[in-house]
Amino acid sequence: MEDVYVIGVGMTKFGKHPDRTAVDLGAEAVLEAIKDAEIDPRRIEAAYCGHVFGGMVTGQKVLAQVGLAGIPLTNVENACSSGATAIREGYLAIRAREHDVVLAFGLEHLTTRFRGALTPGEDDLEAAVGLTMPGIYAMRARRHMEEFGTTREELALIAVKNKRNASLNPYAQFQNPVTLEEVLNSRLIADPLRLYDCSPVSDGAAAVILASGWAVAKLSSRRAVRIAAAALRTGTVEVGLPSMAFEELTHRTAQDAYERAGIGPEDVDFAEVHDCFSIAEVLRVEGLGLYPVGEYPKRVARGEADINGRLPINPSGGLLGKGHPLGATGVAQVVELVRQLRGEAGDRQIARAKVGLAHCRGGKAAGIEGAACTVIIATR
Amino acid sequence: MSDANVASQAYVPFRQGLFRFEEGVGELLGGRCRHCRTWYFPSRRVCAKCLSQKIEVLPLSKQGTVYTYTTIYQSTPEFQVPYILVYVDLPEGVRVLAQLTQCSPEAVRIGMPVEVVFEEVGRDQEGRAIIGYRFRPVGPWVRES
Ligand SMILES: [Zn+2]
Repeated sequence: MEDVYVIGVGMTKFGKHPDRTAVDLGAEAVLEAIKDAEIDPRRIEAAYCGHVFGGMVTGQKVLAQVGLAGIPLTNVENACSSGATAIREGYLAIRAREHDVVLAFGLEHLTTRFRGALTPGEDDLEAAVGLTMPGIYAMRARRHMEEFGTTREELALIAVKNKRNASLNPYAQFQNPVTLEEVLNSRLIADPLRLYDCSPVSDGAAAVILASGWAVAKLSSRRAVRIAAAALRTGTVEVGLPSMAFEELTHRTAQDAYERAGIGPEDVDFAEVHDCFSIAEVLRVEGLGLYPVGEYPKRVARGEADINGRLPINPSGGLLGKGHPLGATGVAQVVELVRQLRGEAGDRQIARAKVGLAHCRGGKAAGIEGAACTVIIATR
Repeated sequence: MSDANVASQAYVPFRQGLFRFEEGVGELLGGRCRHCRTWYFPSRRVCAKCLSQKIEVLPLSKQGTVYTYTTIYQSTPEFQVPYILVYVDLPEGVRVLAQLTQCSPEAVRIGMPVEVVFEEVGRDQEGRAIIGYRFRPVGPWVRES
């Protein structure tokens, strides 16, 4: 099967863009990725667009804006994993030798649509009795505290770390660091989680250009980053009384990615993980096997996950600091992997980064642990 | 509102198929696979464990223990905050999410014994009580009022 590379990346600043549309943001990201790839846009053979609330044929509207209308395009919805799923679709098309150059992008405009807590969806039984997304993670946090002695302060230090990283990222929604006290004194959303434990409502878009090994040679793309694996899994129906302090779905998706890449968690130099809440970063990192189960919060307190630490987590600022425009999130994670692996990450550059991992998971429905999970591994 | 008060009025369940509620007395309904005996709440069409489609609908235990909990301070407009949510483990091996009533946020604990109650959770357009299920503390955990 054909090898797959990322040859161009682009994204908008994440944040509040009240005067712009999702399509406009998408077009900016796509044009930046094309420019970054230094290719003639007519070489792009197909496109995949991830979004959740963008409405019908949003991807096609972006193509029309950037002069690519006419090529095959698939709109992809997998909740917070939509963008990463779009990348995987493009990856598979190149693997299968159907295409040599593919565009994958994600976009979302949420700030004019939502305020406050998102829920699993209005039809969902658990949402109907009052479950919110912060609520489910608050209850997972409570279990992690019970089982591993994790403290409220340790969770807050994750938010402090990610907002500090975001202050080094010009594309991030939050440009200012916060203190431990500010996190602990922010208002309660779902006890024990407070406002600064939660990712914000955001607008934004991100795009990547994928190419086959043949195309990379032909285009002499010197900054290409290889995608070693792109794994996708769905959550299984919960039978019995499973632990809510460990993510079977993340673990299972990661095992597939590691096997396909021939790379283990011990080889990973840094990771972008789906920290929609402070506790979420704990569950992701432990499910991925990057840190021992139950120990991650204590390792964060020791600085191991900092940009200059042993195994940096969310150098971009993550969802907590960079923002979380659902459909764009998974694509923006891969943008960060590529910038880090190329050595183009500026003030937040990780030294000697050779293997990066991006993890997304999205959606919740009554009876399943999570809806969709993706793990993408990129290497230099 | 007590179960008995509700019984004298016209009412509708908040969702179909989740519980039985007659003459002020209610019980949650689960599904048990006839083949491998695995329980589910709510009942389902296919057993997730053995894929059998022979699932029988049976009442679940009234009492269980709190597996985890939170107090919600920010929610969607149809809910009045704050309210407590609990995942309750029932002896059949199913976990049920519901609000916890007759308990303060400071008093709720992991492992706390609770029992299911059926209460009015709202009114429909015709003014009938909408009945839903919640949990409340039992035994020494009951708050004195
Ligand atoms: Zn069965």
